[in-house]
Amino acid sequence: MVRAPLVAIVDDDEGMRDALSDLLLVLDLPCRTFDRAEALLAEYEPGLFDCIITDVRMPGISGLDLLRRLRSFDAPTPVIVITSDTNPKACAQALEDGAHAFLTKPLEDHVLLDHLRSALARDDG
Amino acid sequence: MANAARKYAVAPADDRGSWDFAASAEDYRRLIHHLPVALWQVDTRGASAAFDKLKAEGVTDIATYLDEHPELVELAKDVVLVTAVNRDAIALFRGQSGADLVAPVRYLFAATPDMAKRVMVAHYEGRRNYIEETKIAAFDGTLIDVLFTVTYPERPELYDSSLITMLDIGERLKTQAQLRQLQADFTHAARISTLGELATSIAHEVKQPLAAIVTSAETTLRWLKRDDVTMAKLETLTSRVISNARRASDIVQRIRGMALKHVPERTPVDLNDVVEEALLVVRHDIESRSIALSMRYRDGLPKVIGDRIQLQQVVVNLLVNSVQAIAQGSGSGNGSARRIELRTNVDGDNAVTFTIRDTGPGIAEENLERIFESFFTTKDTGMGMGLAICQSIIVSHGGIIAASNHPDGGARFQVSLPVGR
Repeated sequence: MVRAPLVAIVDDDEGMRDALSDLLLVLDLPCRTFDRAEALLAEYEPGLFDCIITDVRMPGISGLDLLRRLRSFDAPTPVIVITSDTNPKACAQALEDGAHAFLTKPLEDHVLLDHLRSALARDDG
Repeated sequence: MANAARKYAVAPADDRGSWDFAASAEDYRRLIHHLPVALWQVDTRGASAAFDKLKAEGVTDIATYLDEHPELVELAKDVVLVTAVNRDAIALFRGQSGADLVAPVRYLFAATPDMAKRVMVAHYEGRRNYIEETKIAAFDGTLIDVLFTVTYPERPELYDSSLITMLDIGERLKTQAQLRQLQADFTHAARISTLGELATSIAHEVKQPLAAIVTSAETTLRWLKRDDVTMAKLETLTSRVISNARRASDIVQRIRGMALKHVPERTPVDLNDVVEEALLVVRHDIESRSIALSMRYRDGLPKVIGDRIQLQQVVVNLLVNSVQAIAQGSGSGNGSARRIELRTNVDGDNAVTFTIRDTGPGIAEENLERIFESFFTTKDTGMGMGLAICQSIIVSHGGIIAASNHPDGGARFQVSLPVGR
């Protein structure tokens, strides 16, 4: 049975969360949104999501912490990290910790789409 | 002995002791004339008939009565007479001689016509004194700030002679104003410096809605290329663009408000709003350092009277202070707890409080006394002005700021501000 890929969006900013879920909708990608990392982790199961898009700076568990936690028990699910912080160290850290991509806000939709495609393709493969 | 006899001879026949009259009338005249304060002797008998009538009618709320009958105040200004003045009074009013000032009292109230009413109210109520900081208009039109006092006759029903004194307080007020200006300038400079240090945090706050706008607009373009696009969809997306643009504009406006130089205001302020606005500039700095922030707002906090921007500055400074303390204290055996707790509350009926507690290393006992001093710092960077400014702002608001160590570790600062009435 082929099911549509499901994407999780984790961002504490409501405006950004809504904007991203609208974008995924027009890309025909179903998604679920979470306002913080803890909310995602509370109902997380490996394989539930096909890709996770997370902001870095959030109250509580940060995006980079979330990435490390997920890597520790769910290696394969690709994580795309997005941030408005252009600090290259954070980028290097994210990639070292196994992020699929590190993108800065404002996002370019086609760049996000490319990364989503490759992330989901990897998952399908 | 002839001299002594003369002195007694001029003493009016009344029941006062002879001590008051040990000097001659001439001595008194000279003393009063040269007294370094402007002095008026006023005969209020002209108003006595009207006052007695009101008392006979049982009028007690004279202030309201005079509000309703302003003509009575106007009458008094013409029938109450100055009978004598001294040298300083002539000089203060830029007069030529005493004759210029020996006239109905109207000219005393030229700059503040309402004060005449207040002077009458105090007299009617049988008070001994009336004091007010006010302005007078000298004969050449100069407005002068004075401390105006009236001493009423010991037996008010006699209405005979009241004494008015005025002290030129222009210089004092000017010095006070300059001091306030210097403080405001300095506070503003410190605020700009803090905002500069928080530029990254502020930029993040502004970029967030801008990023949402870009994504919503790109999403709109993608829908426009699709056959199944609906008006409802486009409307939703456009609304999102508008609300995020407004949000960005609002953030810029608020930060601009913090950066602008302004005359400190005294308006009713909700301390909860002040904390929220302060977080606007510091929140991302806190999050980027993996510090957990917890807030407990007391609902329905009574308002305080103060300058919103300066109070924000206090909260920002205390937050920055806590962030730096935690950053500095990391690895000092405090475990992994990196936390700032904010709390607003009421303290009895007359005060509201703002408390901030951090999990930094706390304040060394020997420094607790000095922590609010200017240039006192235990940090490698920084001038040591943040807490000094907090104190100066809070004190100027009639409040108190106190530092202590929490029993479970970390520093605790509590600000208490009087409730506005």
